[in-house]
Amino acid sequence: MAFLSVESLTVEYATPAGPIGALRDVSFSVGKGEALALVGESGSGKSTVALAVLGLLGPEARIVAGRVVFDGRDLLALPQPSLRALRGSRLGIVFQDPFASLNPALPIGAQVAEPLIYHRGVRPADALAKAKAALAEVGLPRPDELLKAYPHQLSGGMQQRVLIAQSLICDPELLILDEPTTALDVTVEAKILDLLDALRRSRGLTMLFITHNLGVVNRICDRACVLYAGSVLEEGPKAATLAAPLHPYTQGLLGSIVSLEAESRARLTPIPGRLPDLRQLPGGCIFHPRCAHVLEACRTEPQLMRPVEGRSVRCWRAGFLPHQAPAPDTAAADGAPKGAPLVAVRDLHKAYPLASRLVIGGPTLLRLQRREVRAVNGVSLTIRAGEVLGLVGESGSGKSTLGQCIARLSDASSGEISFLDRDVTAARGGALRAFRRDVQIIFQNPMSSLNPRRRVGATIGRSLALLGRGRGERAGMIGKLLEAVGLPADYARRYPHQLSGGERQRVSIARALASEPKFIVCDEPISALDVSVQATVLNLLADLRDRLKLAYLFISHDLSAVAHIADRIAVMYAGALLEEGPTAQVLAPPFHPYTEALLSAVPSIDRAHRGDRIRLRGDAGETGEAMKGCPFHRRCPRKIGAICEESAPPLVRPAPAHWIRCHLPVEELRRPTTARLVPAAG
Amino acid sequence: MADAATIAARPQRRRFRLPPTLLVGLSLTGAVLALAALAPLIAPYPYDEISVLARLKPPSAAHWLGTDDFGRDVLSRTLMGARLSLFMGFGATAICLGVGVPLGLLAGYLRGRTDEFIMRAMDVLMSFPPILLGLLILAVTPPSLWKAMAAVGIVYVPAIVRLARSATLEIAQEEFILAARARGDGTAYILFAEILPNAWPPLAVEAGLRVTFAILLGAALSFLGIGAQPPSSDWGLMISDARPFLEPAPWIALAPGIAMSITVIGINLLGDGLRQILDPELRTGRTG
Repeated sequence: MAFLSVESLTVEYATPAGPIGALRDVSFSVGKGEALALVGESGSGKSTVALAVLGLLGPEARIVAGRVVFDGRDLLALPQPSLRALRGSRLGIVFQDPFASLNPALPIGAQVAEPLIYHRGVRPADALAKAKAALAEVGLPRPDELLKAYPHQLSGGMQQRVLIAQSLICDPELLILDEPTTALDVTVEAKILDLLDALRRSRGLTMLFITHNLGVVNRICDRACVLYAGSVLEEGPKAATLAAPLHPYTQGLLGSIVSLEAESRARLTPIPGRLPDLRQLPGGCIFHPRCAHVLEACRTEPQLMRPVEGRSVRCWRAGFLPHQAPAPDTAAADGAPKGAPLVAVRDLHKAYPLASRLVIGGPTLLRLQRREVRAVNGVSLTIRAGEVLGLVGESGSGKSTLGQCIARLSDASSGEISFLDRDVTAARGGALRAFRRDVQIIFQNPMSSLNPRRRVGATIGRSLALLGRGRGERAGMIGKLLEAVGLPADYARRYPHQLSGGERQRVSIARALASEPKFIVCDEPISALDVSVQATVLNLLADLRDRLKLAYLFISHDLSAVAHIADRIAVMYAGALLEEGPTAQVLAPPFHPYTEALLSAVPSIDRAHRGDRIRLRGDAGETGEAMKGCPFHRRCPRKIGAICEESAPPLVRPAPAHWIRCHLPVEELRRPTTARLVPAAG
Repeated sequence: MADAATIAARPQRRRFRLPPTLLVGLSLTGAVLALAALAPLIAPYPYDEISVLARLKPPSAAHWLGTDDFGRDVLSRTLMGARLSLFMGFGATAICLGVGVPLGLLAGYLRGRTDEFIMRAMDVLMSFPPILLGLLILAVTPPSLWKAMAAVGIVYVPAIVRLARSATLEIAQEEFILAARARGDGTAYILFAEILPNAWPPLAVEAGLRVTFAILLGAALSFLGIGAQPPSSDWGLMISDARPFLEPAPWIALAPGIAMSITVIGINLLGDGLRQILDPELRTGRTG
């Protein structure tokens, strides 16, 4: 018996350019106590489903057809007051961005207790007592104090826990989670997923889990429903859907995923093309323009959902399709350092000053205290020609600052950067210009990295003009550069807003290539992109490295992406490197305890998760003060004792090119962590 | 919701239409400019021809807008006055943009000490009431139109600096600015070729407003007797001269007043329309 069922839901958005079909004939159902994952990339309409169920669609949305039946009642037919009574009491919701979902002006206690007071008429004092219990239930420490705290005093993970407590306080039967962990670091995400899993079991919650991350689906859900351009393409039990997807789109999504498992670290098989224009959908099967198995009938006949092998699929060839075998690995690297150093960084420090403040004390009674944030704290590394060094770290670890220092976009406080054996730490004028030609950077955000007022050709052409290329020569070179990154040459005439996120990122790469650099800092180049697009950009970067013998510093919070492309990996935490070595050696024991925790936190589609997960306590440390001991000691699950706080850890070398900064002996690091931590706040 | 907004689409170019505000603004401003340019040819009488017999005559076939206390034709004076008023409006705006925009870009991009220095100087300028500052500049030297224009321009510099700075602060955070630095572009190029085109929409609207304010402030200065000097014809001066005769002969003040309103409205619509067509997203249609 379905607890929530969505039946043939069709939703349109009115836009100045005509209606957009956000959802077409979407049907699925969730049984009581079940967790259904709604999987899709951006533009698939997955958030629209959540809003439609909650009755929170904006005025520009129009429900053309369909029913949303919750516990026997059609929610779409209910008047707003009845819906309001359901929302927050029987229907709970957790949104993606915890930073935007809490009111910064109200204390936590009032916000968590609010639904009780509103829906149940509970007296405020009693509601606060309940709120305290709810905060304790989601694993937040010292709930008394939290009641009076304000959102800005909490970390992202703690805020997300507060939101979960708030959505659970009226004991809802259905919890809708819209990308609840996407904005969080991977170690925090792992702990939130643990919490949701535990809550689900203890309360018998029904969950509608909206996500783009198939690893998260594997971790927490029972069934998966794949949404593409407003239509459900495939629906079935999680295990079967992820192991042997029936629809070509789901197969493509899985082929696009970068994985930590060595055997699947082959070349990715992304989906070509991009999401169709929702104003003018292709006839026939909506996926046919991007499908590798397309036949003539696919172009004309619309596909219906039909049962195959106990699942339902919107593809008439499902069940007869060959499973795509991953292409052979073209970038097999043994990881041993070779060649002359291209970039060498020695003991680099970067501190940002904070506003000074007056403090009482000292000989003059009042003293001006200067404060600073140490974003990078004594980093040394070397990158050789044609080599990719992956730099992994969570947000706030200082990895982007390090990248900008190396690209000389930000001046280091101390330390030395040399390029091709020349010290470029303080290069000015001509020396700096020469350096800029050889060293380029690619940024994270494809929205902000291109000037919206300039055509693509002008953006790329400027780099060429700076190299002294003439106007006529430039036009041809711009076309060649665009083709090198897989875009048609006539894209030069377009403005950035006419491109998709992936295409914009390709233009950024073309711009970086224009000066024929030897080394590129890739600062989270794929983090802002959809899964299937991530794969194409990663492939492109790998191809360019092989063809042009480029070296990269590949910065990412995503260990899987780094593992996919990097020859060597450096793990950064609180401004310092904790471990560095060839990729295969960093991903296998012996680990630094932090690397081990990062690896076990990554939600994966390959691993069946059982109780062997390591969770870190607390959040990434403040990088503020100078640290005496190991930067990781506060959260380390294998902390020895005072020595970790007092003295800087030595380098342990399990292999010639692999070092770990830890007090533990190498034999100890080789053994997996035994002490599993009960998560505290996170 | 974000899902529906980021729909990818096939590239297509919608036919580009000029926004109606721009068309109306353009025609009003164009008409005023044309009349001002052709004033000596189309004015029925010389603007300073005094006729004692035709004093304070109401509108008639001979004098469409009547005559003033010296018997001068109001229509001719209003037409000729457009030249001085528009000259004042556009000239002063050019001065305040020319000074204010580079200062604002510099303050917003370089931050730190440069920013402090420029902005504190602007605070000093802003602490004077505009008329007083105009008076200060003009009172110590003999009045002339050029000086009035410069004074009005300088009075409005702080507003432009603040606007340009705040727009720059935001744009300077974008990654394409870092990318420009990474490829080796200098500060001047980044300010004027990368930042300015993005900061332009609010500045265009503000410039439209400034033209009208400058005309009004110029008129106020003339009214106070330190702008345009009699017998030359300026809208402000005309209104000032007409003050004693508001009751018996309201047309003397009404004609330049209405002319000023039409000009102000036209220029404001023009600035608004400009902002719309300067945005490539609105111009080419959203397809990404």
